Amino acid sequence: MFEWLVTPLTYSFMQRGLLASLLVGVLCAVVGCYVVLRSMAFLGDAMAHAILPGVAVAYLLKGNLLIGALAAAVIVALGIGFFSRQGTVKEDTAIGILFSAALSLGVVLISTVKTYALDLTHILFGNVLGVRTGDLWLTGCVGLAVLITIVLLYKEFLVISFDPILAATLRLPAELLRTLMLVLLALTIVVSLQTVGVGLVTAMLVTPGATASLLCKRLSSMMGTAAAIGALSTVVGLYFSFYANIASGAAIVLVATCIFIMVFLLAPQKGVLWRISLRRDVDPAG
Amino acid sequence: MAISVRQSSACFSEPAHLLVENAVVTYGGKAALQDVSFCVPVGTSAAVIGPNGAGKSTLFKALLGLLPLEKGNIAIHGLPLGHHKDCVAYIPQREEVDWRFPVLVADVVMMGRYGRLGWLRRPGKDDRAAVARSLELLGIEDLAQLPIGSLSGGQQQRVFLARAVVQEPHILLMDEPFTGVDISTQETMLSLFPRLKEQQVTVLVSTHDLQLAATRFDRVLLLNRRLIAWGSPEEALTSKNLTEAFGGQVLVLNGVVVVDKDVQKRKG
Repeated sequence: MFEWLVTPLTYSFMQRGLLASLLVGVLCAVVGCYVVLRSMAFLGDAMAHAILPGVAVAYLLKGNLLIGALAAAVIVALGIGFFSRQGTVKEDTAIGILFSAALSLGVVLISTVKTYALDLTHILFGNVLGVRTGDLWLTGCVGLAVLITIVLLYKEFLVISFDPILAATLRLPAELLRTLMLVLLALTIVVSLQTVGVGLVTAMLVTPGATASLLCKRLSSMMGTAAAIGALSTVVGLYFSFYANIASGAAIVLVATCIFIMVFLLAPQKGVLWRISLRRDVDPAG
Repeated sequence: MAISVRQSSACFSEPAHLLVENAVVTYGGKAALQDVSFCVPVGTSAAVIGPNGAGKSTLFKALLGLLPLEKGNIAIHGLPLGHHKDCVAYIPQREEVDWRFPVLVADVVMMGRYGRLGWLRRPGKDDRAAVARSLELLGIEDLAQLPIGSLSGGQQQRVFLARAVVQEPHILLMDEPFTGVDISTQETMLSLFPRLKEQQVTVLVSTHDLQLAATRFDRVLLLNRRLIAWGSPEEALTSKNLTEAFGGQVLVLNGVVVVDKDVQKRKG
């Protein structure tokens, strides 16, 4: 058993991969709590796709992919805010338009390159085993900055999420805080690209948070629990991917999904089985 | 400004706590409030009465600064809205709150302190003491560690009132706080009014209950997009004013059903 655990770690690409996925798992899970509570899952998914042109441009210019993605993500976050603030287009419509346009632009740009299919696969589904030391540093720094911001602005984000009217009476700059939250989400998605890719980052954002929401009564404990679930999923998923020789991003997401389903069935009070057994207690005939 | 103060005799001798002058608010292209002017003296408790869609919530949102005024102005202590932080507290309607949000009763009440805490500061001993006092005042200290979603309607309403008390506002706005709550919660809330008056807090409550408005409030504001009456319950709740405000709608007043222009006796 011990050997089974240690063997993968003798490869340096696995060490880097494991560290990167742990960082991403925890970061996505914490940010994801707000995604779950504020119903921003569609927005997160859209943003992930919308950064494709940024990645493509960086790739074509032989620049750093993450920096290209970062620039695109921030532009998209501000763009969605801009379109929906005008009030003439509903937010989800604005998101739908922006994200499919950006995705198409990204595909067009990438299809000008010969190794199109392979590169696109890496961007769409991640390649955690190709993480380089520089990427790891960038992921670590950005992740730390995002987490520190979330800790420092905990009570402000709590109020604008739970009670926007109170936020207004307290004269909090709600618009600024909302935009900041979009930027944090964008940063999180970008540093997660390498691990789980554009296609699966939504799962990393939403699944651990949704699982934790079934178990927790407070936002702070929900974030902690989600982080633990995110970390566990990435580690277990990566080992699976190593031994079964399957795509790492997909393995990680499937582990997280399994944990969600177990909790959904078994969680105290909110779980399906718990509710059924409660119903039996109340009504023996049923 | 002097002219509109004179319009309302009650404010003439007292400092104007809350002054609304010729307020016009449009909402979705339609005029939700037309040329509304009134002045609430210090520490008054006032009931805001009107049919559905009369602009009661719109008025409150305008007082909070959430809806911009097309025309006119609102002044608190003679200063424009937004001048003082934490001055106006609001108890939302039940459907405005996401009850599934993972937050404990004590956390919700603590949010009332966030305004005075400011950025980057965590709640301290004083804040926790204020929260505990407020929970006790409303008789819900046992619920402090429960998630907000597990409470009954009346308990939830008490939690939001506790939060408003912790805010120590000058003006407290309550949007239909008695809808769907039990009698004991209603009495707990009403019994706070004298204490709030002592602390010179002005309370504005929107309600459909004309009997409560007639018996438990200093003043009544009758609204149907425009101001129909503003004065003591006897002055405001005349059948002429009620007819003007409610038109064909049916209402209960002292067990009497008011239907259109005729007052017919029927069991409430």
